[in-house]
Amino acid sequence: MIENSFNRRGFLKVLGWGGATVALSGCGNTSVEDGKEFVTSYVQTADYIIPSIGTYFNSTCAQCNAGCGIMGRVREGRVLKLEGNPKSPINNGKMCGLGQAGVQAHYNPDRIREPLLRTGDKGEAITWEKALALINEKVGGVKAENVAFLTGGVSGHVKALLKNYLDALGSGHHYVYEAVAPSIMRAANKKAYGVEMPRLHLDKAKVIVSFGADFLGAWISPVHFSQQYARFRKADKGERGVLVQVESKMTLTGANADRWLAIRPGTEGILALGLINALAAAGVSVPGDVVGAVKEYTVDRVSKDTGVSAEHIGKLAALLKERSPSLIIAGSAVEGYAHGSQNATAIALLNQVLGNVGKTVEAPSSVPFPQMAPTAGNRFALQALNDNMAQDKVKVLFSYGANPVFTAPASMKLKENLKKVPFKVVFAHYMDETAVEADLVLPLNSALEDWATAMPEYIAEGAQLSIQQPLMEKLYPGTLGMGDILLALLKQRRPEEYKGYEDFYSYLRSAMVSIKGALGGANEDDDTFWDTALSRGVVKLVGAPVNISSNASAKGLVVPAPFVEDSAYPLHLIPAVSASMRDGRNANEPWLQESPDPLTTIVWDSWVEMHPKTAAKLGIVEGDIVEVASRSGAIKAQVYVFTGIHPDVISMPLGYGHEAMGRYAKGVGVNAFKILDPIFDKETGELAMHETRVKVSKAGQRVVIVKDEGPAGGNQMGRKIAVRMSSSKVNLSEEV
Amino acid sequence: MSITNLLENWSDFRQQHPSEDRPHREYKWAMSIDLDACTGCNACSVACYAENNLPVVGKEKFAHGHSHHWIRIERYWDNDGREFADQGAQFLPMLCQQCESAPCETVCPVGATNHTADGLNSQVYNRCVGSRYCNANCPYKARYFNWYDYPTTDNVWPEPMNQQLNPDVTVRGKGVMEKCTFCVQRLTVAKSNARSEGRSVLDGEVQTACQQVCPTGAISFGNLVDPSAKVGKQWKQQQVDLNKDKQAKDVTESAAKLRGYRILEELRTYPSVMYLEQLRESAI
Repeated sequence: MIENSFNRRGFLKVLGWGGATVALSGCGNTSVEDGKEFVTSYVQTADYIIPSIGTYFNSTCAQCNAGCGIMGRVREGRVLKLEGNPKSPINNGKMCGLGQAGVQAHYNPDRIREPLLRTGDKGEAITWEKALALINEKVGGVKAENVAFLTGGVSGHVKALLKNYLDALGSGHHYVYEAVAPSIMRAANKKAYGVEMPRLHLDKAKVIVSFGADFLGAWISPVHFSQQYARFRKADKGERGVLVQVESKMTLTGANADRWLAIRPGTEGILALGLINALAAAGVSVPGDVVGAVKEYTVDRVSKDTGVSAEHIGKLAALLKERSPSLIIAGSAVEGYAHGSQNATAIALLNQVLGNVGKTVEAPSSVPFPQMAPTAGNRFALQALNDNMAQDKVKVLFSYGANPVFTAPASMKLKENLKKVPFKVVFAHYMDETAVEADLVLPLNSALEDWATAMPEYIAEGAQLSIQQPLMEKLYPGTLGMGDILLALLKQRRPEEYKGYEDFYSYLRSAMVSIKGALGGANEDDDTFWDTALSRGVVKLVGAPVNISSNASAKGLVVPAPFVEDSAYPLHLIPAVSASMRDGRNANEPWLQESPDPLTTIVWDSWVEMHPKTAAKLGIVEGDIVEVASRSGAIKAQVYVFTGIHPDVISMPLGYGHEAMGRYAKGVGVNAFKILDPIFDKETGELAMHETRVKVSKAGQRVVIVKDEGPAGGNQMGRKIAVRMSSSKVNLSEEV
Repeated sequence: MSITNLLENWSDFRQQHPSEDRPHREYKWAMSIDLDACTGCNACSVACYAENNLPVVGKEKFAHGHSHHWIRIERYWDNDGREFADQGAQFLPMLCQQCESAPCETVCPVGATNHTADGLNSQVYNRCVGSRYCNANCPYKARYFNWYDYPTTDNVWPEPMNQQLNPDVTVRGKGVMEKCTFCVQRLTVAKSNARSEGRSVLDGEVQTACQQVCPTGAISFGNLVDPSAKVGKQWKQQQVDLNKDKQAKDVTESAAKLRGYRILEELRTYPSVMYLEQLRESAI
């Protein structure tokens, strides 16, 4: 307690001096004193603002396409932290690191703050009126068929508006592109199950065999799958599910497997057929035509072809026979080859033989509003656009939610073809590689200051409309939301139809309210319905059930023999999709750059993963800078040696190597997209991401790798720090 | 409080390692982390950066060991000379273990780190003089030193990134030691709310940032004094006793099937974090 030595008068004197100092330093310089800003007293605040107390508002995460519900903590008008929205059935209040970094996308210092028009090599700031008028002039001056709109995956009301705009122009050229989407798997699923994206019930399976699906890291909806995984590992009855991961390069999911099986790249389909054969031999009932088709795949042959030991094939078949239902998942490691579709079909057939369809592989429900249903992106779209640009068929190009100059392999010559397009409009948050090439750059609101709706492609049950609402005022007056831009463009074309909407918010509200009956608000008045929707952040939709079929058949299924060796390019390159970097769109968020890669613990750089055997053969040690050369190009990076990779394979992470974008992304690592060879899946025409062959040579330098693990490199040196035991010794049902 | 009173009742004022006859009174914050549920995804670590104003130091400083991840994922391999890491990795979220008998506390020359009544190992930033003795004495490497004045360092919190800083947590300056606080700012609010309603904090009422984000729910956190708290039930079921340096698992054969353990317990630090062993299936 302060005693009498310091009386009230003395205290006030000190306070007076402090106040005078503040006043002097601020004299005449503040925007408040200049009259540009106003100070609002907290005595009169809005209902929900209490100074120093955080208020939570629900919204939707836009860091990837999974569509997790988020809850932003807002204090004194600033959003401070994101938590998961407990009411969202996708993530049930949980989040991932990528989602957490959403605030860094919002507060990023490298965001574009006003529309920029190219004049020579420079961008000149212009007004929105001018920018929109320029677009109107340019699209008016060309034929509708020469207008192309490139986007990432889209859904919700923005998708509906975009379609209306393209219709108003009379052009249907909408290219939906995602660089690392599971597009071959979607096509294979459609054939095998009748649906592109069946619902996987990891928590109902007793055994999961995942062929390179990184469902805990970066595959489809990782936070959702992580929760299912937790229940799979610790079921209510105490039975622990067994995870076997088959892949050539260890993913985060592989690092959590009970058994990680290193397989020769591209032979996943052979192992699946071998397992069917082994199951049939063990007495599992398998249709006659299938038995006939797989009888060549004996354990010995499969073991020789795949590199997986006969012992493990036998144990795996026994496990699958004994513990049912199981779940077989085909991930990116399966579909990355020219025979990716065949691989995926073989794995679907294994699921069917095991009787998993309808048990752990279930049908999704249909989406009641197809105009808002998600359009999933693929890689073929970019090739189609690229071909059209090369043939001078594109006169005006819009690009939104994609960075094709960064993600296109060098062999596509996309950057050169882009130069043939006379007028390129890029909607962007940063001056990324594509925006740098644009004629007009339009700055977007961040996801935390924008209105939108999204329909997630993957949701466990039913369907839902996720609402994205601003968590705070816009940071910069010069940015606009995509919805607002599309609305303004539509007003140019169809003024009668859209003049009633002042902005995208009023459009969205009236569009939602007009279908409130279908959104569960039939008995509510408009305001109550709208407020409830916003406060929950998600609106449940009633979708009709869809039937799932078991159509996978052995007829016409040919899985090619393993690769023949290529003496000029002896190694396979696996471009890895990591949970935080993915295709590189979030690379300018420093938390993600400084968050160590889970397996290598490397930060702030690219690396080349290599098995110790391969490294020894090439005379390479950790930290050596090597040149990785494919037929399409060469890049240099540091080598990390570890045993989570097949000796025939090296792996490099995607998402690094930006030449633009911002201070945290530019110049960090190298871009592995660039050296991918133009080899395509035979059935879908999708770029086969894992087909590239490379040679590795020492480039002379050696560096100390910047990583989180210590010099012992993951060895505990006999201390009991992270301890492991056999699951048979534990009774999980007794645990709390 | 007179000096005489202080000296006469010294043992009442001094926070020491509690024993059976000197239990915690109202709160004892503790954690349990299930390593079989932890997938090593790093979400906890990023959430901690967001909640606790941790600086991003960049590549060069990271190389010098200057990173500030209050919770980090340690990754171990158990190959035993096999060709592949064919049973995966062992991930371990490492954070300040909030030791009941903390080696860092005894060596601080200025008493900047000491034990609170609810069992936290607290760090008083404005008392810290940066001797770094605590850092040297921590067996868990869970303490992080501010070698630079990060608020004024380029590209750590450039405008407008500084607007993301959590006003409930001090932004530390140069020369100060820092570490995991079990999100003490959240605990303080929860305790204050509970006190104004004349009750104790309920189980689940307060979550740490790492616990709240964890996609598999591997982290439990709560009050060990509260018999209804999940974390206390877990400790009890696993027969891990806060005040012992050898648990049932280490001494009785019948308890060998338990998964609960504390790291480097033999150092008699009496950590407040219990880990549950990772499991691996033997049939495959």
